[in-house]
Amino acid sequence: MNSLHVNRLTLRAADRVLIADLTQTFAPGEMWCIAGPNGAGKTTLISALAGLSKDASDAISLDGRALKEWRSNDLARRRALMPQAAHDAFSATVLDTVMLNRFPHLTGWGWESNADRAAAHAALEALGLASFASRDVQSLSGGERQRVSLAATLCQDAPLLLLDEPLSHLDLHHQIDCLEVLSEWIEANNRSVIFSCHDLNLARRFATHALLLDGAGGSSAGLVRDVLTPERASVAFGYPLTLIEQDGHEALVPVMRSISR
Amino acid sequence: MDARRAVTVWSALAFAALAVFVASLAMGSVPMSPVRVLHALVSPGNDVLDEIVRTLRLPRALGGFASGALLAMAGALLQVLLRNPLAEPYVLGVSGGAAAFALAAMLFSMSWWSVDLAAFAGAFLSILLVLGLARRELWRGEPQDASPRLLLTGAVIAAGWGALITLMLAVAPENRLRGMVFWLTGDLNGVAMPWPALIALLVALIAIVPAAPQLNVLLRGDMAAEALGVRVVRLRLRVYLVASLAAAAAVTTAGTIGFVGLVVPHVLRLAFGNDQRMLLPASALAGGLAVMGADLIARTVIAPAQLPVGVITALIGVPVFLWMLLRRTR
Repeated sequence: MNSLHVNRLTLRAADRVLIADLTQTFAPGEMWCIAGPNGAGKTTLISALAGLSKDASDAISLDGRALKEWRSNDLARRRALMPQAAHDAFSATVLDTVMLNRFPHLTGWGWESNADRAAAHAALEALGLASFASRDVQSLSGGERQRVSLAATLCQDAPLLLLDEPLSHLDLHHQIDCLEVLSEWIEANNRSVIFSCHDLNLARRFATHALLLDGAGGSSAGLVRDVLTPERASVAFGYPLTLIEQDGHEALVPVMRSISR
Repeated sequence: MDARRAVTVWSALAFAALAVFVASLAMGSVPMSPVRVLHALVSPGNDVLDEIVRTLRLPRALGGFASGALLAMAGALLQVLLRNPLAEPYVLGVSGGAAAFALAAMLFSMSWWSVDLAAFAGAFLSILLVLGLARRELWRGEPQDASPRLLLTGAVIAAGWGALITLMLAVAPENRLRGMVFWLTGDLNGVAMPWPALIALLVALIAIVPAAPQLNVLLRGDMAAEALGVRVVRLRLRVYLVASLAAAAAVTTAGTIGFVGLVVPHVLRLAFGNDQRMLLPASALAGGLAVMGADLIARTVIAPAQLPVGVITALIGVPVFLWMLLRRTR
């Protein structure tokens, strides 16, 4: 019941079919990685799952109710979306920027309460950004902005997170930190995370499930180790991959052109 | 920013505006004391001083306050709508339409009220034109990033009006040219009816201030705002209509006073931050204060001759703004 359910969803970009007839349930406690080549429809799918696509919101239901039947404010407290890019045309402090995601929780005249402020500080703390609170967002690096966006999404306090490439621009250390924060965050009741990602090895290590898009309408879904296999990933990305193993560590690596011949 | 800090900012600006208002009524070719001004307002007799305050200085000060407030608020709104710091009330062509029609009315030497009427009609036509051409962005669209197209549509329409204005200035007879140039720079001389602009200000504030928290979110992007529960397309249309009608009301009252709509919101952002809940009412107060003050200078500095108020707003505004901007980056 407390899950995101997709029933026979078809997504198109212009006249190209991105996803054909997808049926899938994303249950609480699961951490899904959406993978696939550029232009395969990862962003389109994530915004459809967030209820931002009019055509798709019939086919997607959350807690047993079609997305289009949700009031927008209730939906914003149930799921949070982190878009691929955020705008910052004007300067603002990191704290104020993060606190914008408390919007669905505002009451009265629309000023934040102390609880909202505390939630924003806690989210910054969780991502190691406590010392950034009074920095100007316009002075941040790409990776720092990305972590601020993730903190904002967390502070929205919604049990379902939809993250569009949350790890882009991050160095390896921060990629792992963020994924660890998410793995820990998901422990609480009824929480789930769906994120898109290009690093198949990080996905294999941190995600519980994966949805692999092939860019031609096809997809495969299931436990991460059953989906992000060398065979399936090679087909989806159009380049041969192989799984190597050392001391209990595994990695998908591209096959050298000369060997693959 | 919290509610208490916002109230402090508003109170300080309101107090300053009140001081400039009293000064505007007291100062001029016939100076008088604030007590005398109060007397003229509260229990006016048939004295010439009462007459000066009531029929000349009061409408002019109120008209200046209202148009400055409307312009600064329209500027703040369009900067958010277009997510562009360079946006100002005239960028989408409202003032161009108003000016083209007003100048045409002056060219055919119609009465002052038909010039006002023509200005409003021109502004309104320009608003309809943008609404029609940018309907995908403003009222039909999906929550995608629409601001560049909307900005270009408006800017091109503004350029079209600009050509018509130049054409009329080129063919205008010598004796009308001065009045036309004054109108284009912005001029409060002869404002007799400040009430339409004051009412427009009140309506605009009521229509948009409750949406200020949504506007804060809109600045993060259309997708982000929609996902937070903001109905982006509807909000965009509301912001566009309020900003354009505010600009139209201001231009109809005082001509195209420049600079206030661009700079007042930025000065407030630099000083107090970019929170629309504080910024929109503060812009109204500070914009009104700025134009009222500039007009006081415009009509006293080389009295009895008068300067167009738009010249003063820019002459003072440019160095003040540059100083604030450059001081901060160090």
